[in-house]
This record gives sequence, structure tokens and C-alpha cells, in this order.
Amino acid sequence: MEFLSNLDALYFVLILAGTLIGIIFGAIPGMTATMAVAVCLPLTYALDLNHGLALLLGLYVGGISGGLVPAILLNIPGTPSSITTTFDGYPMTQKGEGERALKVAIVSSLFGGLLSAAVLFSFAPLLADFAIKFSYVEKFLIILLALTVIASLSKNLLMGLLSALIGIWLALIGTYSVEVGGNGDMRLMMPFMEEFLYDGFSLLPVLIGLFGVAHILEEAEKGIHETHTDMKDALKNSLPFSFSVFRNQKTNLVRSGFLGTFIGMLPGVGGSAASVLAYTQEKNFSRHPEKMGKGAPEGVVASEAANNGLTGGALIPLLSLGIPGDSTTAVLIGAFTLQGVQVGPLFIGENVDTWNTMMVGLLAANIAMFVVMFFAIKHIAKVVMVPKHILYPIIMMMCVVGAYAINYGVMFDVWTLLLFGIGGYLASKIGIEVAPLVIGFILGGQAEVYFVKSLESFGTLTIFFTKSPIAVVLWLLIAISVGFSIYQASKAGRAKRDTDA
Amino acid sequence: MGNLLPGSGEPLRPAWELAMPELFTVTIDFEQSHLFFPHIIHWMLLLMVVLILVFEAPAYLRRLRAGHVSLPFTRGPFDAVRFMGTLLLTVVYFLTMPWVGDFFPNTGLGFLIVSIPYMAALSLLYLHDRSLRQVFLVVLNAVIAPVVAWLVLAKLFAITLP
Amino acid sequence: MKKTMFGIALAACGVFAMTSVGTAFAETSFPRNLRIVIGSKSTGGDTYQNTAIVAEALAEKLGINVKVDAVGGSTGFNTIKRVSNGSVIMMFHDQAYLGYLYGKKGYDNPFTEYRIGPSVAINPGNAYLVAKKSPYQNVEELMAACAAGTDVRVAIQPGGVSEIGYSALKNAIRIQHPGKEGCLVAVNRGSQSDKNQAMFDGLADLINGSVQANEQYTRLPADDQKAMRFVWLTARDATIKQANPEGMGETSREMLLAYTDPAVSVTQDGSKNFTFDKEFFFLFNKDMDQKLVDELDQALTEIFAAGDIQKTQKKSFFIPNFRPSAEAEAYFKDKAAQYEVILGNLK
Repeated sequence: MEFLSNLDALYFVLILAGTLIGIIFGAIPGMTATMAVAVCLPLTYALDLNHGLALLLGLYVGGISGGLVPAILLNIPGTPSSITTTFDGYPMTQKGEGERALKVAIVSSLFGGLLSAAVLFSFAPLLADFAIKFSYVEKFLIILLALTVIASLSKNLLMGLLSALIGIWLALIGTYSVEVGGNGDMRLMMPFMEEFLYDGFSLLPVLIGLFGVAHILEEAEKGIHETHTDMKDALKNSLPFSFSVFRNQKTNLVRSGFLGTFIGMLPGVGGSAASVLAYTQEKNFSRHPEKMGKGAPEGVVASEAANNGLTGGALIPLLSLGIPGDSTTAVLIGAFTLQGVQVGPLFIGENVDTWNTMMVGLLAANIAMFVVMFFAIKHIAKVVMVPKHILYPIIMMMCVVGAYAINYGVMFDVWTLLLFGIGGYLASKIGIEVAPLVIGFILGGQAEVYFVKSLESFGTLTIFFTKSPIAVVLWLLIAISVGFSIYQASKAGRAKRDTDA
Repeated sequence: MGNLLPGSGEPLRPAWELAMPELFTVTIDFEQSHLFFPHIIHWMLLLMVVLILVFEAPAYLRRLRAGHVSLPFTRGPFDAVRFMGTLLLTVVYFLTMPWVGDFFPNTGLGFLIVSIPYMAALSLLYLHDRSLRQVFLVVLNAVIAPVVAWLVLAKLFAITLP
Repeated sequence: MKKTMFGIALAACGVFAMTSVGTAFAETSFPRNLRIVIGSKSTGGDTYQNTAIVAEALAEKLGINVKVDAVGGSTGFNTIKRVSNGSVIMMFHDQAYLGYLYGKKGYDNPFTEYRIGPSVAINPGNAYLVAKKSPYQNVEELMAACAAGTDVRVAIQPGGVSEIGYSALKNAIRIQHPGKEGCLVAVNRGSQSDKNQAMFDGLADLINGSVQANEQYTRLPADDQKAMRFVWLTARDATIKQANPEGMGETSREMLLAYTDPAVSVTQDGSKNFTFDKEFFFLFNKDMDQKLVDELDQALTEIFAAGDIQKTQKKSFFIPNFRPSAEAEAYFKDKAAQYEVILGNLK
């Protein structure tokens, strides 16, 4: 109980401050939890390790959670891991249920965060040993499993698959980076592009371009007419939030929280794959899969429970292997080394007090996140009432800030916004579907590395089936997932024919 | 699988592979490995386009002829001024921002100075009711929003802006 | 409330704009806001950490704001190529010329395309490890296995700092057992996690790692799948000898010295042993004003003379290593030339 002396008032003030700042960063399109932690890292020089970690953990939890706000209210994912929150969150807002969607999302976030914190605290070293059983082969199969969501997400299956392939293709532009073990050579581009696209298109500008800028262009085309008078009526008549919404969501909450934690603990997979996978599984097991993507609360629950589950999950390899589980924890390593604390397989045993202090911090940050957001929501939800001629210029400006800052000052990332804004606008006109395209883009790079490296290591395609029992289980899940979406598609098709007739 | 003896990374091979090993064997030359996956994706893209032409195109053409759907870009409202204006203003915004920023290196002032007129212009473009009161609100917003963003992000958090 | 805030903001911004214009054009000097881009995209890595230490000291000495931006190699080089007025400078390490020597995309010859600035520190941690249960006890046995025709697989990140030790080993085998160097096989991986994983999967016999990241793995019990053993540190023994005596974790400086030259011998040319120190240094635009170079040299000379920065560096397991620009340029040219010979031999 020595660690209790670390828990002074300043500790909790820092948690609260971190969570608040994190939420704001997460809520600004293009600003991420990673960036929040990175910009505040220098502030921790002045603090000792425990206080520094308090601030950073608050930022991490707040940043991941804040992303749900623009995802639900504006259809712009505030962070990559809130991409699937837009699928059902924004349709809810359009029905006038913005506030309800936000509350559902926040409760789910809290649950996911607490669940993953509990898993982290109880099983970290054990799970780390499990995580290293996942080689490139198993990781490829996980990505493949996440990609099966495309089958059920597409309005038209063939167009959806084409869109996803285009997304993957776009993700491959640039070098096959040595940072992931590639040979560093360029592909899919012309010489004049090399200066700009050495590292390929950055994920975040692509996301906010496709979602934010493209939406503004579509509205501009229609002449920017206000719809918020209808919104006002809708707000009055909409369903109020009540916890009964979770009555049928217990399995969903638990499954998504665990999935998030699990994906978070696999080094390199991390981030957005977690919420995509949770969304896929909810869609497979949902009793009303046809409602998902049209404003079903369960979609929001799955996505948000998973991306907050990520926080505890990504800390598992960090604290029990010394290896970051996602990009944010990669920055957290800096905080440890700056204080001269080594992270690695012996960290927990050698720093029991720090470990316990961190666990309290993680718990406190999740609670702080919940309290801050749950009570601020009434006001935040009013964003949809801001007239478009005021709101859109602000969104454009903030997108520019986010895009420019995401790689610490690269102007090309700002142009990426516009390129993908125009691209997204044109694509939707010719039947290309944005959601599968984005998922292809997010997962394409990892799919390549894991697939090519598996073959490079083992030299045979059969390795994907014979590598380990885990691989066999993953194939089963993939088969179930594909089977479910075919079954559901045919059921929906039959229902449609019945109503037509 | 965790066998650590040198040269023993070989997994068990199933019978069907032993029967015809060459069918499943893939050798990847590391020097050319950056092209391996893009090739696969190109073939899959081609396949998908062919499938769409075979299965989707005839039905689409039938609906088009029947008048149920229309060709892309030919229907619906098109507010040319607001649409092209948005594009033009944004391009000018992106071009001038780094240029102005270079006069005040690493201060983020390029962003601040150019954002104000951009936001004002975009708001005015979108505004339908251009009464004095509305214009005043728009200009006020165009000044306050970038200043707050700049003060908080560039000054307080030292985030690099153009 | 809104109005007052706005008024204050506008006034602050006006005053600030004037002062910054004033200093930017007054004389040849670093601007009030100096930006240091680094060749790594990570803010958790050694390049960022080392640069942050130097940036803090510089900010205090020169009385300016210094910002470190982790933009990565390609963007970093493009930025200093474009900006010559001294408002952006770059910090990187040996990768800057190794990337060029290995012929990687995005790397130019740094000695002709940029100007080499002062060096500031060494990361002495570049290491090679085997699994704790590995039959190979040391580098000699690994090379002997190669000589006997057994493949030895080495997990590295291709094209730079992580590969240079592997190339040196290959070169040493070529010299001592001509024709057998083909038995040392590269397993190309990315991050440290990927390289560790290659060992856990049984796909690599030897991995590149670092004292900082892998020391705790060396203290795991041998029956743990993750347990590892150091066999070689590429740093010079003179470098390791400058580290704090407590070393890293439970591995003291004395213990580390058992893995460096001369205790471990990897010959470079038959007469002397190969060593590699990962050294951090500044890079400038080719046409940056000599006055600015002098100003930075002067400032760093004073900082290192004061002696505080060395303590901070050593606490973070960096070895202080200040050389003014001119000296650094000659030194790195010679270092690069030596490695060029090694890589040339292996072609």
C-alpha cells in the first residue's frame, strides 16, 4: 500500500486536467490522442514519473473518448478509432437523437475503459505471453476478419468490394517502408510525387477529407440550406436517453470491450482495427442487422466500448514487454525513458508502486472522462444548431490545423484533405462507397505487411492454415463472419422482394 | 512453434501439400517484395471491374433507359457559385498560408493571418440573408475562431502551424 | 467576456507579430522560434529524446523558443533542403549517410547535399542478442557455425543502423572464411517488436536490438520463451567506459564491457576490429549562413563547457560527444568512407 502516498491532490488534478485536454483534442477533427500526449510530453519534464503519468493517462483516455463527439454530431471521425462510431452515431443525430447517441457512446466508453483496465490489472503478464503467440500469420488473419465487415457494410456487394480494394490500393502508395520491415522502395507513383508521397497518404487527413471536406462540398453543391429548424422539432420529439437502451446490449458491451482490449494488446495491429472488428461482430450477431448503419444504438455501443477497451489493452505490451500496443503508447514510452525508468518484461515486478499508481490513474481517468462528458453533453449536442455558414468554415479551419499538425508540420497533408474531399465527393456520385473504402485504406497497409512477410518467412500459402491452432480458430471466425453476412444479405433480399410484390 | 534451435523454423506440412508442394510454394524476392502485394490488388481490382460489368451494368442500363435512375452529375441541384467558390477559396487559402507563414518563421502567423479572410469569405459565400447583423456576426466569428485556435494551439501547446 | 478576450488576443497577436518581424530581419541570427526537425517519426524514441535534451539547453542559452518536430527522414531532408535562413535545422544520426550507402530511397549523400553540423551525443546501446537457450554462446561460435556451412539467420531492420552490424559480421566472415559469408542470412523486420517476435517464432538465431529495450529480457529465467542473451555491443569500449557505472537496469557497465571490442572481436579488415557508435549530429541547409553555424557551435561549446548537459545525457544513457561543425564533418566523412569499404566488399 506504499503507492497510496503517491496519490496526492495534485495527482487527481492532473488526471482531470489531462482528461479534459484530451477530450478537447479528441473532439477536434484531426487532433488525436497521440498528438495530445505528444504535445504535453514536454510538460511532464517538470513533474515526477507518477504525476507525469497521471497527466498522460488522462490525455490518453480523454483523447480516445473525445473522438466520439464529432463522429456522432458531424459525421467526422475525431480520431481514426471512432470511424465506426459515425456509421450509426450520425444517422441518430440526423433523426434528432444526437444527445441520446452521445450518452450511449459515453456509457459504452466508460464500460470499455473499465473492463480493459480490469483485464490489464489482473492478467497483464499472462496476456503478454499470449500476445507473442501472434506472428505475422495470425495478425494477417485478424486483419482479414476485420475486413469481412465490408461484405455486410456495403449497400451493393460488388461495388463495396471494389471500393475496399481501391482503399487498399490507395494505402499502398508510397514506399514499402523499412519501418515495418519492407525494402524501402517506392511503388504506384510517378517521379514528381516522390517528394510528397514518400510516406504515402496520411490516415487522418484522408479520413477528415473523405468525411468532413467531402460533406461540405456536397452541401455547397446544394446551396447550404439550413435544416436546423427541422432539427429543433426532431430534438423535441426524439427518444430521451435512458439506461434501458443497454438492456439488450450486455453481450455486445462485454464482447466489444474484450475485443478492443485484445486487439489493443497485439503490437502493431492496434487502433482502428479494434472498433472495426467489434462493429463487424455486432453486426453478425445483432438481432436486427438491417438497422445497423441507419442509426442503431448497438453500433455506437460496439464501436465505443471497443475503442476505449483499446486503452487498457495497448498498455499490456507496453508494461509487460516494453513494446507499445498503439501509436499513443509509443509516445508514452518516451515519458518513462525521460524519467530514467526502463520498461520491459520486468517492469511491473520492479515498479510495483508505479504500476499500482498507474492503475488508479487509469480508473480515475475513465471516471473523470465519464463525469466531464456526461454533464457537458447537453451543451455539446447543441453544435448541430449552429448555422452552417458559421459551422462549416470553423470545421474547414480545424481540419487544416489537424492535418498540418498530425505529422508535425507537413503542408502536403493539408492538400491531402482537399484531394480526398474532392475524391470523396466524386466517388459517392458514381456509386463508390466511402465506408468500405476507408476500412480498406485503414487496414490495407497492415494486410500487406502481414501477408507478404508471412510468405517471405515460410514460403508457402499453406502456412495460413497450418501455422497454429490460433490460425485455425481465426479461419473459423472468418467463415462464420462471411457466412452470416451472406445469410443476412439473402434474408434482406427476400424481405425486399416480399414488400415489392 | 517456439522451437529455438537454428534452422528449425519449419512448420509441419500437411499431406496435401507434400503431394504437390509447388502449387502452394511462393518465393518472395526481398528486393522486389514492394511490388508483390500491389500486383495482387491490381488483379483483384480488374476482376472486380469485370464482375461489375457482367452482373451490375446490364441492370443499371435497363433502369437508366426506363428512367428510374439518371447518369451521375446530370441531375439534382447544382449551386455552381457556392460549389466552385468553396474550391477556389480553399485552394487560394492553402497556397497563401505557407507563403505568408514563411515571412514569420515558426510562429503559426501564416495560419492566423490567412484564416481570418478565408473564413469571412467562406461564411459570406454560404450566407443567404446578408443583412448587416448577419455580416457582423460572420466577421466576428471569422476573427475570433482563428485567434482562439492560434492562441491555444500554437502558443499554449506549441503545435507547429504554417 | 467574449469581447475582452478578443481584444486581448488581438493586442497580443499584434505585439507578437511586430517583435517577431523585428528579430527575424534585424541581423543574421536564429529566429525567435527555432524549429528542429528530426529524422524519426517517433516522439518516444532515442532521436527525439536526445534532441529534446539539446533543444532545451539551446533554448536557454540563446534565449529563444526551440521546438522539436518528429517529421521523419524524408520530410526532414526535404524541409532543410528548402529552408536556408536558419529557421529550421535538422538532427539525425548515422542513418543519414548509412541510408545513402545502402542505396535507400529518400536518402541523398549528406556530405554534398547538406551541411554537417556539430555532433552532440552517442547512443551506445546498439546490440545483438541470441535466445537464452541458443546453442551459440558468443559471436565467435556464430561465425564458426557459418564457416561450417550452417545458416545463421539475423533479424534486422534493413538499410541502415540496424543492418550495419550485420554487414560487419558478414564482412568478417568473408575475411576469415572466404566464400562462407552467404550463410549469414538477413531476416528483414521492422520495429524492435518485430525483431523480437522473429526470435520468439524461431525464425531468427540472432537479432539486432538495444541495451535499453532488451536489457530486461536478458534477466528473464532461461525457461521463459522471451529470454535473451547479449552477445555483442557494437559501440567502442571507450564509449561504454564513459557511461555511468551502474549501466542499464541490473546490467552494470562492467558487464556491458564484456560484449564490446576487444572482448568480442569482429574484424573490419583483418587487422583492426569493427565498431559502430550511433552518433547524433545536426544537419543544415547547404547555403545556411556561416554566422549561424558559428553561433550554434559557440552556443554548444559553452553549454558543454558548463557541464550540466552531460549529466542529463548520461542519466538517459546517452554518452556526451560534442564536436564543432568542421570537426564533425571531417569525422563523419572518414567514418562513412570506412563503412563504404565494408559494404563495397559485400557487393
